[in-house]
Formats: sequence, C-alpha cells, structure tokens
Amino acid sequence: MSETPAGASAGAVVETSRLTKVFRDFWRRPKVTAVDELSLRIAPGEIYGLLGPNGSGKSTTIKILLGLLHPTAGEAVVLGRPPRHVAAKRGIGYLPEESHLYPYLSPRETLTFYGRLFGLRAGIIRSRTAELLDMVGLAHAADRPVGEFSKGMMRRVGLAQALINDPRLVILDEPTSGLDPIGCRQIKDLMLVLARRGKTVLLSSHLLADVEDVCDRIGILFNGRLRAQGEVAQLLEKRDRIRFTVPCLSTEQLQTTLALLKQHAGSEPDVDHPSLNLEQFFLRVVREAHRDAGSAGSTAAGGAVPAWLGDREEAVS
Amino acid sequence: MQRMRQFLTLTRLTAVETLRQPICLLLAVACILLTAATPMVVMHKFGEEGKLARDSGLAFHFVCGLLIAGTAAGSSLARELRKGTASAILSKPVTRDALFLAKYAGIACVLLLFSATAALATLMCERVEERFVSTPALTGYVTDWQTGNLLLAAPVAALLLAGLLNYLRRGAFSSSAFVLLALCVAAVFAVSGFFDRTGRFAPFDLRVAWRILPAALLVTMALLVLAALAVALSTRLRPGPTLAGCGVLFMAGLVSDYLFGQHAATSAAAAFLHAALPNWQHFWVTDALSAGGHIPLPYVLRAAGYGVLYAGGVLAFGILSFRGVEVQG
Repeated sequence: MSETPAGASAGAVVETSRLTKVFRDFWRRPKVTAVDELSLRIAPGEIYGLLGPNGSGKSTTIKILLGLLHPTAGEAVVLGRPPRHVAAKRGIGYLPEESHLYPYLSPRETLTFYGRLFGLRAGIIRSRTAELLDMVGLAHAADRPVGEFSKGMMRRVGLAQALINDPRLVILDEPTSGLDPIGCRQIKDLMLVLARRGKTVLLSSHLLADVEDVCDRIGILFNGRLRAQGEVAQLLEKRDRIRFTVPCLSTEQLQTTLALLKQHAGSEPDVDHPSLNLEQFFLRVVREAHRDAGSAGSTAAGGAVPAWLGDREEAVS
Repeated sequence: MQRMRQFLTLTRLTAVETLRQPICLLLAVACILLTAATPMVVMHKFGEEGKLARDSGLAFHFVCGLLIAGTAAGSSLARELRKGTASAILSKPVTRDALFLAKYAGIACVLLLFSATAALATLMCERVEERFVSTPALTGYVTDWQTGNLLLAAPVAALLLAGLLNYLRRGAFSSSAFVLLALCVAAVFAVSGFFDRTGRFAPFDLRVAWRILPAALLVTMALLVLAALAVALSTRLRPGPTLAGCGVLFMAGLVSDYLFGQHAATSAAAAFLHAALPNWQHFWVTDALSAGGHIPLPYVLRAAGYGVLYAGGVLAFGILSFRGVEVQG
C-alpha cells in the first residue's frame, strides 16, 4: 500500500475524493447510502464546519476519516496518509459525538491512558494532564470516577483527551452537545485559539450558531451528498443589500440621512438599533454574577490554553 | 518498544476495568466462600472426604472462572464496540490487532489472579476436610476448623480492608477488594502452615496435597481457552449473545467426545466438529486424583499444549474477524 494515495493534493490536511459509504443489511443488500460521492479538501490552519441535519452523514464521514469505517467507494487521505494508517492517527485529536470514556477511570487516569497510547513520556503526560484538566475546568475533580460525572463534565474530559497529543488535526463531532452556554463559548474560543496556532479543525455540528461563529468554511451535507460549500462570510452575505452602522444621530440628522438614502435607493430604508445575540447577553450576565460572587473555581470556569498546544498563551474564556 | 508499551497500557486498562466490575468481585468472593464452606457444612461423605472438597473447589473455580471470562469478554470488547470506547481508542495510533490481543491479555491476567486465589482456596479446603488422626493425645476424625474459619474470614477481611482503602484513599472498591482477596487468601495459606489440624502451633509445614495443583492448572488453562473464545465471539456479537455463545460452546465441548468423537472415524463432519470444538474433558481430570492418584506431568504438558494451540487458533480467527469490523459506536 502506498503512503499517499494517488490523486491526493499536496498540503491538504484532509482530502476525500468521491467518497461513498453504503451500509448493508444482514444479507449484504444495500440498506442506506450514508455518504454519497463526497469530495472535500481542508487546508492547514482552517476551521471547516461539516453541517447537516441528523442522519446526513456527518459522523459517518468522520468515522471514515478516522479509519473506523471502510469506504464502499472513493478515497480519503488524512495528513497525507490513508485513514487506517496508524501513523496518520498520531497527528489527530478526536472528540466523539458521545463522550466515550471508561466509567471506572478518573479524568487523570483517562488522560494518562490516552497519553501512553501516543507513546508520550511519563513526565510529559503528567504535566499535560494537569494543564488540560485546568483548561477544561476539571482540576478539582481530577480523581473522581468519570462515571459519576454529568454529560457536560464528560464532554470536557473528552475534549482534554482529544488534545493530549498536541494534534495537527482536531476532529470535533458535535463538540458543544451537552454543554452549558459558557462551556459552548469556551469550546468555540478554544477552536479559534487552536486555529490561530496552526491547527486544523474539522467541526461537525447541526447547531448553526456554533458553526457560524467559528468556521472559515462550511460544507452542508444532506442525505450523504454535499449540497453547498464555501466560506461562511461569502455564503451568508446578501450581496444585494448594504448595512451602515453609525453612532446615534439626532432626529434631524436621521431625517436628513433617511431622505438622502430614500432618494438614492428608491425605497424606504430599514432603521433599528443593533442588538446583542442571546449568547452574548447570557455570558455578560453570568460574568457579572461571577464577579459579584467573587467565584472563579467552578467547573464552568476554564483555565488557560496550555502553551505546548502552540506558541502563545491565550485564555479560553 | 513503544508498541510494547502501548500493548501493556491497553492490557493494564482491560485488567483494571475488569477488576473494577462488581460482578467479577462477586463471583470471586462467591467462589472462595463456597470453596471454604464446603468441607465444613457437608457432613456425609461416604469415605470420599478429600475428593468431595477437591472436586467442589475445582468446580467452583471452573464455573466462577467461566462466568468471569464470559462477562469480562462481553463487557470488554463487545460493549466497547457498541458504546464507543473502542472507537475512541482506535482513533489513536493503535492497531486493531494490538487492541484485540490486549483485551485478551487483560482478561487473562484477571483470570490468572482469580485462578491462583481459587487454587490456594482448593488446596486449603482439602486440608480442612476431616481426617482420621491417631496420636497419643487424640484418636478420631478431626476437621481443621482453624484453617477453615481463617479461609472463610479472608473474603470478609478483604472487603473490610477495601472499604477502609476506599474511605481513606478513595481507591476503587471492587478492584482493591479483588486484589486484597488474593492477598488475604495467600496470607491465610501461609499462616495455616504454622498450625496443625487441631489448631496447635507447629513447625512450618503447609500440609496440603500439592498433587491438586496440576488439576487446578488445567482448569486455569480451560478458562484461558474459554476467554479466547469469548473475546473472539465478542468481535461480532453483543455482550448477551457472547455469554450465551460461550455457554453453548462450553456445553458442546463437554459432550463433544460422546456426540462426535465416537463417529469421527466414519464421518468427516463429526471428525471436523470433534476437532473444532474445545474438548473440556482434557482439562477436567479430578478423577485421576482419587485414592491418592497423581496427574502425570507429560499429560499436563500435552493438555496445556492443546490449550495453547487452541487458544492461539481462536485468537488468530478473532484478529481476522476484528480487522473487518466496522466500528460504528
């Protein structure tokens, strides 16, 4: 087997060509086409969002990229190698849709276990485990069995294990599922930090706000087929409309401006005050509440992104 | 070197996860308690005192070990494939072959620890069984109550110590108790050597029938073969069907000599089935111990060789099966 399949373009972190996955029934008859001739190319340092309704083939695509499922047809290349190649997986960090963790292990044991699978030295595992648990806000629960955790806490352990190997490619399958709004914001901020530090992020989600906030490019899957793909800003831009944002004007100034705009546009322009979205408002209220209570040590409060995950120290929240 | 470290990490995890399952602890404690209680509660032995204790101890060893092997394999690979922990591991630089073999190795480690504990318990329960003693001070049948009571106390002590560890150091109760059970039974084994049958202090002598050990070794070998079957089945079946499949193979292997062995010379199908099914009769040779008999070493080696080859073949099939599995969990 060749290291790099034919047709794979140099430099792409993830590339698929006419990738198809057909699930079969017990008698080997085709049951459902989960992925249908999917061609993708994700560049280094990019945050790529795979969008689609439930059952559209997002998770199946990710599992093929991780070598967990065999494609029925087509080809996939991850970090320059076929997905089932063990060496390709050295550079991947994966957060599954459900936090698949061993219930009897503590977060510290879980991260140590995954660190050992990557062949990391004991000292490195110890320091990375401490920093990652601090980053996801679980330092206080490092030695409790994961089975006792809430879904959100499990998600945080899952995220920490996905980063233990300082991956080049981070694959996040529904990363904000089960998290409170603060946790969601932290994950989104973390993705932005990781991308700034040169990591490539493949994000699968059906939560449109998550994707819109962080992704450079998106692809929309429906019934396994890629229906739309491109840069978020371009796809969402209304090219036949223009919006001005200016400081508040007096009534007289406003009337003059509107008259001028109406004269040139030929119709009455819409005027309103810009508003926060609900997430921004919620985070502002919670931050104020934290400040008033003087608390910062809860699970929700994450720490700094470890320096070894890139070259600069930045806070998640 | 790194692959070996990875393999050992996966093996250790499987062993720890298995030990932390309460069902494994329950089975191990039940095995020791039943083994310890048998010579003290069964009174009518028709001159077969030693045999009853031996056979019961080995039978508890076999049955409880079989259940541990089946449940451990079912919850290890089968459940992990369905619940997704296998996908989390296989998304790391781990080959499927390594994961499969490590699962088996982890379960085998637990079975070896269990078997060592059960074998010590069987050796002691045979010692506890009443014997005719004729000394200047005493003539008559004497039961070694002291050793029996100490053996009965071993699981209780292990559970209490594990509870204490859990309270003081927040250690996992089930795995601590399992390991402490082995240590407590070993401690009782060593301490009992300082006392004679009547409970009086005496020069160190374990006073056990070491000829039981080859029989316990063969039972252990049978458990390792069964664990290989269970892990191989669990690559394609769910935990319940895996356990059921183990039960079917166990029963079929028990009667394979009768059903297929006698027709093997005349029927190719019978010959195939006789060869393909695990023949448990090779591993259950307690009758050879009756009337002071011994199991010859060449037989033990041949039976162990059969077990190693059979388990190796089953594991090879298991690896091939696991390579083709689509991990959807």
